[in-house]
Amino acid sequence: MAEQKKTVKFIIERQDSPTSKPYTQEFEIPYRPALNVVASLMEIQKNPVTTDGKKVAPVVWECNCLEKVCGACMMVINGRARQACCALIDELEQPIRLQPARTFPVIRDLLIDRSVMFESLKRVQAWVEVDGSWEVKDAPIQNPYTATTAYEISHCMTCGCCLEACPNVGPQSDFIGASPSVQAYLFNLHPLGKFDKEKRLEALMGKGGITSCGNSQNCVEVCPKNIKLTTYLAQLNRDVNKQALKNIFNK
Amino acid sequence: MINVSFYLRRLHSLCGLVLLGGVLIEHLLTNASAMGGPEVFNNGLAMMEQIPQPIFLGIEICLYAVPILFHGIYGVYIAMQAKNNPSEYGYSRNWKFALQRWTAWYLVAFLIWHVGYLRIYTKGIMGEHISYALVQSTLANPVVFALYAIGMFAAIFHFCNGITTFCMTWGITKGPRSQCVVDKGAMGLCVLMCLFTLAFMSSYFM
Repeated sequence: MAEQKKTVKFIIERQDSPTSKPYTQEFEIPYRPALNVVASLMEIQKNPVTTDGKKVAPVVWECNCLEKVCGACMMVINGRARQACCALIDELEQPIRLQPARTFPVIRDLLIDRSVMFESLKRVQAWVEVDGSWEVKDAPIQNPYTATTAYEISHCMTCGCCLEACPNVGPQSDFIGASPSVQAYLFNLHPLGKFDKEKRLEALMGKGGITSCGNSQNCVEVCPKNIKLTTYLAQLNRDVNKQALKNIFNK
Repeated sequence: MINVSFYLRRLHSLCGLVLLGGVLIEHLLTNASAMGGPEVFNNGLAMMEQIPQPIFLGIEICLYAVPILFHGIYGVYIAMQAKNNPSEYGYSRNWKFALQRWTAWYLVAFLIWHVGYLRIYTKGIMGEHISYALVQSTLANPVVFALYAIGMFAAIFHFCNGITTFCMTWGITKGPRSQCVVDKGAMGLCVLMCLFTLAFMSSYFM
């Protein structure tokens, strides 16, 4: 049995430039205990030779923190969007298929351009307008009942798993996806952020906002931070419906 | 701000559940009377024909044609924005998401055929009265029977899954427990309605 585990096989989808055609290459690296996908990619980088002995350009990918906090190494591993840094080889079926998250524009190989999420965060005003600063005793207090929810949502690392898994996000649609939508809820919970609640809800009611959600609920299944995305999306649905009634009847 | 797409989406949801749900239930009840035999079915249809023609046509246009066209056309636009992926992410809700769209595509074709043939051609152009005998002879062809049965199952699933997603979209069910309860209830209703449909459809040949 131990013989079979001596090497790790990879089938990697590669692409030389944003516009060129994708192709696959196979790599085989020596196995070692506790190996993960990022470490394997580093191994391939040291000696970028395919299984049929061809020397190729090293595989390009992105990673940073290596502890599931930054979100940079999100890619599609065996068909599922997840972080490469915490994808343990021992838990994956071989050959391991690596693909870029094609919901986003591919720059090269596994490297993607996720700036669309940053644009969406700007759109929903995912920040707090700071109005001066306070001594601790004077600062507006967090609602202790919603603080745990806010803490949970603040774990979002904009990795994009929820967007990649969502059938309604992609080049064919303008839906901003679960992550940026739910960030609007986080800032609506904030003692200062809540003053801009209406602005955020209006942004979510626009084209490609929360109304484009089709309730496939893949987002909550794939979220590496276990954020209860569908619960907060439903809460936002409630909030935008109330906002719509206000828009209709308060003027 | 006007947010046209927001109101269109919400109208699409409301129209589907309330108006088209009503159309589906009306069809189930009217057709179920066939289980009582030809007289009951034909008497029911005769009762409907008591309604004065202009009012009947008004009902057909306002409660049937316009909602179906709006829900169908806007629905096609929505379905085209989805890239179904249940083979990669095989969760129950994702399968239902895909099925919601696949049943929709079938229903577009099925309704063009069903309304085009029965309402526009047979009743409208040929001036024939819809009767027990007519439905019986239509369903006697096993291919037609199968296409109709699939059409009914598709409509029933689309409606029942629509109840679940309606509750999410309108923020009625927020947490996973309440969403799961509504989902199970809706799927139970789906099974019951499908069995009921099969019962009255096969009653023509019992």
